[in-house]
Amino acid sequence: MFKELDPILHSQLRLAVMSLLIAVKEAEFTYIREKTNATAGNLSVQVQKLKEVGYIDVAKQFKDNYPQTTCRITPKGIEAFEAYVQALQAYLGTSGKG
Amino acid sequence: METNEKEFSPQESLQLIHSMISKTKNSVADDSFYFLFWGWLVFGCCIAQYILKVYLLYPNHYIVWWLMPVGGIISGIYGSRQSKKQQVKSFVEEAVAYVWLSLAISFIVLIIISMTANTWQTAFTYYILLYGIGTFVTGSLIRFRPLVIGGIINFILAAVCVRFSYDNQLLIAAIALVTSYIIPGHLLRMKYKKQKN
Repeated sequence: MFKELDPILHSQLRLAVMSLLIAVKEAEFTYIREKTNATAGNLSVQVQKLKEVGYIDVAKQFKDNYPQTTCRITPKGIEAFEAYVQALQAYLGTSGKG
Repeated sequence: METNEKEFSPQESLQLIHSMISKTKNSVADDSFYFLFWGWLVFGCCIAQYILKVYLLYPNHYIVWWLMPVGGIISGIYGSRQSKKQQVKSFVEEAVAYVWLSLAISFIVLIIISMTANTWQTAFTYYILLYGIGTFVTGSLIRFRPLVIGGIINFILAAVCVRFSYDNQLLIAAIALVTSYIIPGHLLRMKYKKQKN
Protein backbone atom coordinates (compact mmCIF):
# COMPACT_ATOMS: atom_id res chain seq x y z
CA MET A 1 0.00 0.00 0.00
CA PHE A 2 2.69 2.44 0.99
CA LYS A 3 5.79 3.20 -0.97
CA GLU A 4 8.59 1.79 1.07
CA LEU A 5 10.76 4.45 2.65
CA ASP A 6 14.30 4.37 1.30
CA PRO A 7 16.22 2.55 4.08
CA ILE A 8 19.36 4.51 3.25
CA LEU A 9 17.58 7.80 3.97
CA HIS A 10 15.31 6.57 6.75
CA SER A 11 18.06 6.87 9.31
CA GLN A 12 18.45 9.92 11.51
CA LEU A 13 22.01 10.90 10.83
CA ARG A 14 22.04 10.06 7.12
CA LEU A 15 18.81 12.00 6.63
CA ALA A 16 20.26 14.94 8.56
CA VAL A 17 23.34 14.94 6.33
CA MET A 18 21.23 14.77 3.16
CA SER A 19 18.92 17.57 4.39
CA LEU A 20 21.92 19.81 5.01
CA LEU A 21 23.50 19.05 1.67
CA ILE A 22 20.29 19.53 -0.32
CA ALA A 23 20.21 23.18 0.79
CA VAL A 24 23.82 24.09 -0.04
CA LYS A 25 26.27 23.69 -2.90
CA GLU A 26 28.86 21.89 -0.77
CA ALA A 27 29.83 21.59 2.86
CA GLU A 28 32.87 20.49 4.81
CA PHE A 29 32.80 17.47 7.08
CA THR A 30 33.43 19.70 10.13
CA TYR A 31 30.45 21.88 9.24
CA ILE A 32 28.18 18.84 8.92
CA ARG A 33 29.47 17.46 12.22
CA GLU A 34 28.80 20.77 13.95
CA LYS A 35 25.25 21.05 12.60
CA THR A 36 24.28 17.44 13.22
CA ASN A 37 26.01 17.16 16.63
CA ALA A 38 27.28 13.75 15.57
CA THR A 39 30.54 12.16 16.59
CA ALA A 40 33.26 12.14 13.95
CA GLY A 41 33.34 8.34 13.89
CA ASN A 42 29.63 7.84 13.42
CA LEU A 43 29.37 10.63 10.86
CA SER A 44 32.28 9.17 8.94
CA VAL A 45 30.53 5.80 8.67
CA GLN A 46 27.22 7.34 7.53
CA VAL A 47 28.93 9.62 5.01
CA GLN A 48 30.73 6.61 3.61
CA LYS A 49 27.40 4.76 3.22
CA LEU A 50 25.84 7.70 1.39
CA LYS A 51 28.86 7.82 -0.86
CA GLU A 52 28.70 4.08 -1.60
CA VAL A 53 25.12 4.32 -2.86
CA GLY A 54 26.04 7.37 -4.95
CA TYR A 55 23.88 9.90 -3.09
CA ILE A 56 26.80 12.19 -2.28
CA ASP A 57 30.25 12.99 -3.63
CA VAL A 58 33.10 13.19 -1.17
CA ALA A 59 36.28 15.06 -2.05
CA LYS A 60 39.35 14.81 0.13
CA GLN A 61 42.09 17.38 -0.15
CA PHE A 62 44.68 19.23 1.87
CA LYS A 63 44.19 22.84 2.89
CA ASP A 64 47.09 24.48 4.69
CA ASN A 65 48.47 21.05 5.60
CA TYR A 66 45.21 19.89 7.17
CA PRO A 67 43.13 17.17 5.55
CA GLN A 68 39.76 18.43 4.53
CA THR A 69 36.69 16.52 3.40
CA THR A 70 34.06 18.26 1.33
CA CYS A 71 30.67 16.70 0.61
CA ARG A 72 28.10 17.56 -1.98
CA ILE A 73 24.86 15.93 -3.01
CA THR A 74 24.69 14.17 -6.41
CA PRO A 75 21.76 14.28 -8.90
CA LYS A 76 21.00 10.71 -7.84
CA GLY A 77 20.96 11.88 -4.22
CA ILE A 78 18.57 14.73 -5.02
CA GLU A 79 16.26 12.29 -6.80
CA ALA A 80 16.33 9.88 -3.87
CA PHE A 81 15.73 12.69 -1.38
CA GLU A 82 12.75 13.97 -3.35
CA ALA A 83 11.30 10.48 -3.66
CA TYR A 84 11.79 9.99 0.08
CA VAL A 85 9.96 13.24 0.93
CA GLN A 86 7.14 12.32 -1.44
CA ALA A 87 6.85 8.90 0.16
CA LEU A 88 6.78 10.54 3.60
CA GLN A 89 4.04 12.91 2.52
CA ALA A 90 2.00 10.10 0.99
CA TYR A 91 2.46 8.08 4.14
CA LEU A 92 1.45 10.90 6.47
CA GLY A 93 -1.41 12.01 4.21
CA THR A 94 -2.96 8.55 4.07
CA SER A 95 -2.37 7.68 7.69
CA GLY A 96 -3.95 11.00 8.68
CA LYS A 97 -7.19 10.09 6.90
CA GLY A 98 -7.25 6.54 8.21
CA MET B 1 22.39 -3.60 11.91
CA GLU B 2 23.33 -0.18 13.10
CA THR B 3 23.38 -0.10 16.82
CA ASN B 4 23.57 3.65 17.17
CA GLU B 5 20.34 4.40 15.38
CA LYS B 6 16.85 4.25 16.72
CA GLU B 7 13.68 3.84 14.71
CA PHE B 8 11.95 7.09 13.98
CA SER B 9 8.55 7.98 12.61
CA PRO B 10 7.73 9.79 9.34
CA GLN B 11 6.70 12.84 11.41
CA GLU B 12 10.08 12.91 13.08
CA SER B 13 11.65 12.50 9.66
CA LEU B 14 9.94 15.59 8.30
CA GLN B 15 10.82 17.57 11.43
CA LEU B 16 14.44 16.57 11.07
CA ILE B 17 14.53 17.61 7.39
CA HIS B 18 12.93 20.93 8.28
CA SER B 19 15.30 21.66 11.15
CA MET B 20 18.42 20.77 9.15
CA ILE B 21 17.42 22.90 6.18
CA SER B 22 16.68 25.86 8.46
CA LYS B 23 20.16 25.50 10.01
CA THR B 24 21.72 26.35 6.65
CA LYS B 25 19.65 29.52 6.25
CA ASN B 26 22.12 31.81 8.01
CA SER B 27 25.13 30.35 6.31
CA VAL B 28 25.67 33.21 3.83
CA ALA B 29 29.17 34.55 4.44
CA ASP B 30 29.90 38.12 5.44
CA ASP B 31 30.53 39.96 2.17
CA SER B 32 30.66 43.42 3.73
CA PHE B 33 34.45 43.63 3.26
CA TYR B 34 34.05 43.95 -0.53
CA PHE B 35 31.45 46.69 -0.31
CA LEU B 36 33.47 48.66 2.25
CA PHE B 37 36.83 48.12 0.56
CA TRP B 38 35.68 49.02 -2.95
CA GLY B 39 33.26 51.66 -1.70
CA TRP B 40 35.92 53.62 0.17
CA LEU B 41 38.63 53.02 -2.44
CA VAL B 42 36.60 54.21 -5.44
CA PHE B 43 35.04 57.01 -3.37
CA GLY B 44 38.55 58.20 -2.45
CA CYS B 45 39.67 58.02 -6.09
CA CYS B 46 36.67 60.06 -7.29
CA ILE B 47 37.31 62.78 -4.71
CA ALA B 48 41.09 62.72 -5.32
CA GLN B 49 40.65 63.01 -9.08
CA TYR B 50 38.20 65.88 -8.58
CA ILE B 51 40.67 67.76 -6.35
CA LEU B 52 43.60 67.08 -8.73
CA LYS B 53 41.63 68.14 -11.79
CA VAL B 54 39.53 71.05 -10.55
CA TYR B 55 41.61 72.61 -7.78
CA LEU B 56 45.21 71.62 -8.52
CA LEU B 57 44.79 71.63 -12.33
CA TYR B 58 47.04 68.59 -12.48
CA PRO B 59 47.01 67.30 -16.09
CA ASN B 60 47.45 63.59 -15.21
CA HIS B 61 44.53 63.67 -12.78
CA TYR B 62 43.34 60.21 -13.94
CA ILE B 63 46.49 58.67 -12.42
CA VAL B 64 44.45 57.83 -9.28
CA TRP B 65 42.68 55.04 -11.19
CA TRP B 66 45.88 53.00 -11.24
CA LEU B 67 44.79 52.03 -7.74
CA MET B 68 42.04 49.87 -9.31
CA PRO B 69 44.30 46.96 -10.38
CA VAL B 70 45.97 47.17 -6.93
CA GLY B 71 42.50 46.93 -5.39
CA GLY B 72 41.75 43.96 -7.62
CA ILE B 73 44.81 42.11 -6.33
CA ILE B 74 44.02 42.86 -2.65
CA SER B 75 40.40 41.83 -3.19
CA GLY B 76 41.52 38.62 -4.91
CA ILE B 77 43.92 37.69 -2.08
CA TYR B 78 41.23 38.36 0.53
CA GLY B 79 38.73 36.28 -1.48
CA SER B 80 41.00 33.27 -1.80
CA ARG B 81 41.84 33.37 1.93
CA GLN B 82 38.17 33.59 2.84
CA SER B 83 37.21 30.70 0.59
CA LYS B 84 39.83 28.56 2.35
CA LYS B 85 38.25 29.35 5.71
CA GLN B 86 34.70 28.81 4.50
CA GLN B 87 33.16 25.53 5.61
CA VAL B 88 30.05 25.65 3.51
CA LYS B 89 29.18 27.12 0.11
CA SER B 90 25.60 28.04 -0.68
CA PHE B 91 24.02 28.51 -4.09
CA VAL B 92 23.24 32.14 -3.24
CA GLU B 93 26.92 32.85 -2.56
CA GLU B 94 27.86 31.24 -5.83
CA ALA B 95 25.30 33.32 -7.72
CA VAL B 96 26.53 36.53 -6.03
CA ALA B 97 30.14 35.66 -6.87
CA TYR B 98 29.31 35.16 -10.55
CA VAL B 99 27.34 38.41 -10.72
CA TRP B 100 30.38 40.34 -9.43
CA LEU B 101 32.78 38.45 -11.65
CA SER B 102 30.72 39.39 -14.70
CA LEU B 103 30.55 43.00 -13.46
CA ALA B 104 34.31 43.14 -12.92
CA ILE B 105 34.78 41.99 -16.53
CA SER B 106 32.18 44.57 -17.65
CA PHE B 107 34.15 47.36 -15.92
CA ILE B 108 37.28 46.36 -17.82
CA VAL B 109 35.35 46.15 -21.10
CA LEU B 110 33.86 49.60 -20.44
CA ILE B 111 37.32 51.08 -19.83
CA ILE B 112 38.50 49.59 -23.15
CA ILE B 113 35.44 51.02 -24.93
CA SER B 114 35.96 54.46 -23.35
CA MET B 115 39.64 54.45 -24.34
CA THR B 116 38.94 53.29 -27.90
CA ALA B 117 35.96 55.51 -28.68
CA ASN B 118 36.95 58.32 -26.29
CA THR B 119 33.57 58.20 -24.58
CA TRP B 120 34.70 59.35 -21.12
CA GLN B 121 31.76 61.75 -20.97
CA THR B 122 29.37 58.82 -20.50
CA ALA B 123 31.76 56.47 -18.67
CA PHE B 124 30.50 57.26 -15.15
CA THR B 125 26.89 56.87 -16.25
CA TYR B 126 27.61 53.25 -17.12
CA TYR B 127 29.83 52.63 -14.08
CA ILE B 128 27.05 53.84 -11.78
CA LEU B 129 24.58 51.69 -13.71
CA LEU B 130 26.82 48.65 -13.12
CA TYR B 131 27.16 49.45 -9.39
CA GLY B 132 23.36 49.58 -9.32
CA ILE B 133 22.98 46.18 -10.99
CA GLY B 134 25.51 44.58 -8.62
CA THR B 135 24.04 45.92 -5.42
CA PHE B 136 20.42 45.43 -6.51
CA VAL B 137 20.99 41.78 -7.47
CA THR B 138 23.13 41.01 -4.40
CA GLY B 139 20.64 42.72 -2.08
CA SER B 140 17.76 40.76 -3.61
CA LEU B 141 19.59 37.43 -3.40
CA ILE B 142 20.78 37.79 0.19
CA ARG B 143 17.53 39.60 1.13
CA PHE B 144 19.20 42.73 2.42
CA ARG B 145 17.09 45.80 1.76
CA PRO B 146 19.71 48.58 2.12
CA LEU B 147 21.59 47.11 -0.87
CA VAL B 148 18.38 46.94 -2.91
CA ILE B 149 17.60 50.58 -2.08
CA GLY B 150 21.22 51.56 -2.87
CA GLY B 151 20.82 49.83 -6.24
CA ILE B 152 17.63 51.73 -7.04
CA ILE B 153 19.26 55.07 -6.09
CA ASN B 154 22.12 54.23 -8.47
CA PHE B 155 19.74 53.54 -11.35
CA ILE B 156 18.38 57.06 -10.84
CA LEU B 157 21.85 58.61 -10.42
CA ALA B 158 23.02 56.92 -13.63
CA ALA B 159 20.22 58.58 -15.57
CA VAL B 160 20.85 61.96 -13.89
CA CYS B 161 24.65 61.78 -14.19
CA VAL B 162 24.77 62.00 -17.99
CA ARG B 163 23.40 65.57 -17.88
CA PHE B 164 26.39 66.85 -15.88
CA SER B 165 29.95 67.77 -16.82
CA TYR B 166 32.70 65.17 -16.32
CA ASP B 167 33.99 67.00 -13.21
CA ASN B 168 30.61 66.94 -11.53
CA GLN B 169 30.11 63.33 -12.58
CA LEU B 170 33.04 62.49 -10.30
CA LEU B 171 31.08 63.88 -7.37
CA ILE B 172 27.90 62.08 -8.44
CA ALA B 173 29.87 58.82 -8.63
CA ALA B 174 31.14 59.52 -5.09
CA ILE B 175 27.52 59.92 -3.91
CA ALA B 176 26.60 56.69 -5.74
CA LEU B 177 29.33 54.84 -3.83
CA VAL B 178 28.16 56.19 -0.50
CA THR B 179 24.56 55.11 -1.14
CA SER B 180 25.17 51.74 -2.75
CA TYR B 181 28.42 50.44 -1.20
CA ILE B 182 29.50 52.35 1.89
CA ILE B 183 26.22 52.76 3.84
CA PRO B 184 24.82 49.28 2.98
CA GLY B 185 28.32 47.82 3.57
CA HIS B 186 28.47 49.18 7.12
CA LEU B 187 24.88 48.06 7.80
CA LEU B 188 25.71 44.58 6.45
CA ARG B 189 28.77 44.36 8.71
CA MET B 190 26.65 45.34 11.71
CA LYS B 191 24.08 42.69 10.80
CA TYR B 192 26.71 39.93 10.67
CA LYS B 193 28.30 41.08 13.92
CA LYS B 194 24.90 40.90 15.60
CA GLN B 195 24.28 37.45 14.14
CA LYS B 196 27.59 36.21 15.51
CA ASN B 197 26.90 37.38 19.06
